[in-house]
Amino acid sequence: MTDTALSGVYVLDLSDGMSGGYCSKVLRDLGADVIKIEAPRAGDSTRGMGPFLNGVPNIETSATFLYLNAGKQSLTLNLESYEGRKILRRLIGNSDVLVESFKPGMMDALGLGYSELEKLNLALVMASISYFGATGPYSDYEGSDLVAYAVSGYMYLTGDEDREPLKAGGSQSEYQAGMAGAMSIMAALTHRDFTGEGQHIDVSAIEALNATFDGVGYYSAYENRGVVPKRAGTRLVQREPHGAYPSTLLPCKDGWVHVHYSPSNPEGIAMLTGDERMESDDVLSEMRGHADEIDASLTEWLKDHTREEIQTLAQEIRVPFTMVQSIPEVLEDPQNTARGFFVDIEHPEAGALKYLTSPYRLPESPWHAVRAPLLGEHNRDIICGALGYSDGDFQRLKEANAI
Amino acid sequence: MSDNNQRNFPLTGIRIVDLTNVIAGPVSTRVLAQLGAEVIKVEVPWGRAIGNIAMHTDVPGELRPYNKVASFNEVNRGKRSIAIDLAQEEGRILLREIISVSDVVIENYSPRVMGNLELSYESLLTERPDLIMVSMPALGGAGPWSSYISFGPGTDALGGLSDVTGYENGPPHKPGNYYADHNSAFHVSTGIVAALSQRRRTGKGQRMEIVLREVTMAVIGEQFLGYQLSGDAPMRMGSHHRDAAPHNVYPCRGDDEWVVIAVESDEEWRRLCDAIGNPNWSDYDRFATKPDRLDNQDELDSRITDWTRNQTNYEIMHKLQGHGVKAGAVLKSPDVLSDPHFKSRGFIDETDHEDAGTNHHPGLPFRLSRSELRMGVAAPMFAEHSDWALAELLCLEPSDIANLRDKNTTPLEPVDRTF
Repeated sequence: MTDTALSGVYVLDLSDGMSGGYCSKVLRDLGADVIKIEAPRAGDSTRGMGPFLNGVPNIETSATFLYLNAGKQSLTLNLESYEGRKILRRLIGNSDVLVESFKPGMMDALGLGYSELEKLNLALVMASISYFGATGPYSDYEGSDLVAYAVSGYMYLTGDEDREPLKAGGSQSEYQAGMAGAMSIMAALTHRDFTGEGQHIDVSAIEALNATFDGVGYYSAYENRGVVPKRAGTRLVQREPHGAYPSTLLPCKDGWVHVHYSPSNPEGIAMLTGDERMESDDVLSEMRGHADEIDASLTEWLKDHTREEIQTLAQEIRVPFTMVQSIPEVLEDPQNTARGFFVDIEHPEAGALKYLTSPYRLPESPWHAVRAPLLGEHNRDIICGALGYSDGDFQRLKEANAI
Repeated sequence: MSDNNQRNFPLTGIRIVDLTNVIAGPVSTRVLAQLGAEVIKVEVPWGRAIGNIAMHTDVPGELRPYNKVASFNEVNRGKRSIAIDLAQEEGRILLREIISVSDVVIENYSPRVMGNLELSYESLLTERPDLIMVSMPALGGAGPWSSYISFGPGTDALGGLSDVTGYENGPPHKPGNYYADHNSAFHVSTGIVAALSQRRRTGKGQRMEIVLREVTMAVIGEQFLGYQLSGDAPMRMGSHHRDAAPHNVYPCRGDDEWVVIAVESDEEWRRLCDAIGNPNWSDYDRFATKPDRLDNQDELDSRITDWTRNQTNYEIMHKLQGHGVKAGAVLKSPDVLSDPHFKSRGFIDETDHEDAGTNHHPGLPFRLSRSELRMGVAAPMFAEHSDWALAELLCLEPSDIANLRDKNTTPLEPVDRTF
């Protein structure tokens, strides 16, 4: 068997939804073995999210589940049953990491709080992911991706200045919460390597999104200068006149491009457009202060060129302009194709689809394409194989709705 | 300088050489520094700059303006600093000596630069055979676009995130501020800790590549499968949701004040109706079930707006949450600073910097029950740890140190830039 960065790390993913799913996906991409524990019948809530094959709801063809859970095993357990919890406790005894995303307090109510579980396994790293975190006055508030965008402050920074705040595309609070889970789990596993002791981690989605404001003076702009950072359309939030510009989206002949100033060739925009004003000291010393003028000059040039022409001409002189590509275009662009970033994976119900490979390229830790599991696909392997229950026991567990 | 290296940090004993600049690279090592690693930031000798653009301006009478660059001071919290002129051969030798006693080197130059500096991974292995080296190219070290330069927002565009962000029926939009950079940073720091854990087991280092655009695609991964499965390219839908209504942002009392409300199930809908006092319209058949509400959500949004616009966003959040409805005030920077929840969790990091004063910053989005985190440590001043690195880390002779200082190979104050 090939070695991986996380060879021998066994993860139980008891979470429901995208954040815990991404957390254990990152660990799987780094080589850990992951068992996804799902509720019997409906399974993880991402199985109900879609989009589905041909638009027809089916727990085995939901894009969100298939993406986040490729390469994991699926075990169904009814945690409301004594037998279900007993199986979980036995698995915990032999695992390194437990990820969960119940509302704070729920695991304790099930008799599965960290103080109980550490008695089963002193080395257990348990990560609890929630929207607001496990402590604090809002810890029992109901969260969602949209709520996290709002309360984290992220939403106030996205959208047009004179319109309502906007959320980002997709489910970024879920992804950042999952990422914060994976990062803190790696830190805790390192602590465990040196001390032998596990620990409990409290991850908050609203904090995970607020943490993406590092380096933009989110707090200091207000405290030191009285400036409240506010959404600025497709421009960066910082508006000091001497700041660099452009960094924005502008229309062109066949769509949109992202235009960005070039630290290595500040005169590049003038070279592209032929507008000498764009290389004058007046403009270059106060680029952000001339943002509207720069946009107008660029737009005049962009309207006669396609995205691809613009990207090629600009990059040739080290000006970082890039195309806005749609999802179908990204799937087939020359860079992704040359790098083999998407790979075909066959699934018995969803068919053959192009999946993203791991974003980690680690030569000593190869990544393998494996499809997402069917609901409960590994029940027998785990319960009879790993835990040694008999076929009769297995049948009895099924009839008792424990699995 | 009596750093608290003896404390119970997860990454105590790990030394990282940081050659990165701008946002993504420095944030990834800032996280590792706060987890307890010793991060040595290798700076250019002419002060704090991004490419050819200085991040500070000299104001007559102002002391050490280069130590007051707010964004630099934020993304370099908890690190050490030495300035090295890598254009000099002595500078490159000095850097190689530091790397020989370090665990990780991280850089985010464009792919050709490290080779030009004779600092390729292969050549550094002679200094440190189990080195972990991390590169973070924008589009990848190989492939037809590998020589292209791009920053975070440009990879949002090229990777599909801009295309799925935006108002309903509007053009593509921009998410967050430097969202792609931060997303990349957190992936990188996680990958580094994983590679270190593999090395503890196998003794082998490796060269890790994490591509800014590829981690952006990873956080919208479901969109690529969704398109293939359904045949429909995703549509921009503002803050609406494919499968939930009402699900939007609503104006509140005050200037540019907003609240979000996210209702999925019919049960949550009834709770929302209770919270707002069951007005007549809440009983209309056209809002009775989720499909009804999705079909009629523009009318629904406008009725909810009539209710939200005369109350503050905090009042609405607390009232709706009291009824178990998902709602959240759209907070601004001063709101977060004074918010009792953020305060009680101690999320916000406060630093005292000798030249830049007291400042607040985003902290780490997790708490560990047994490990400490290195919070509250400011960014280093320019070349603050140069003496430590030369005399204590590398044990150089005083005469050699004097020689390096004379030639400005490793200056203690910024030198004039020579192009």
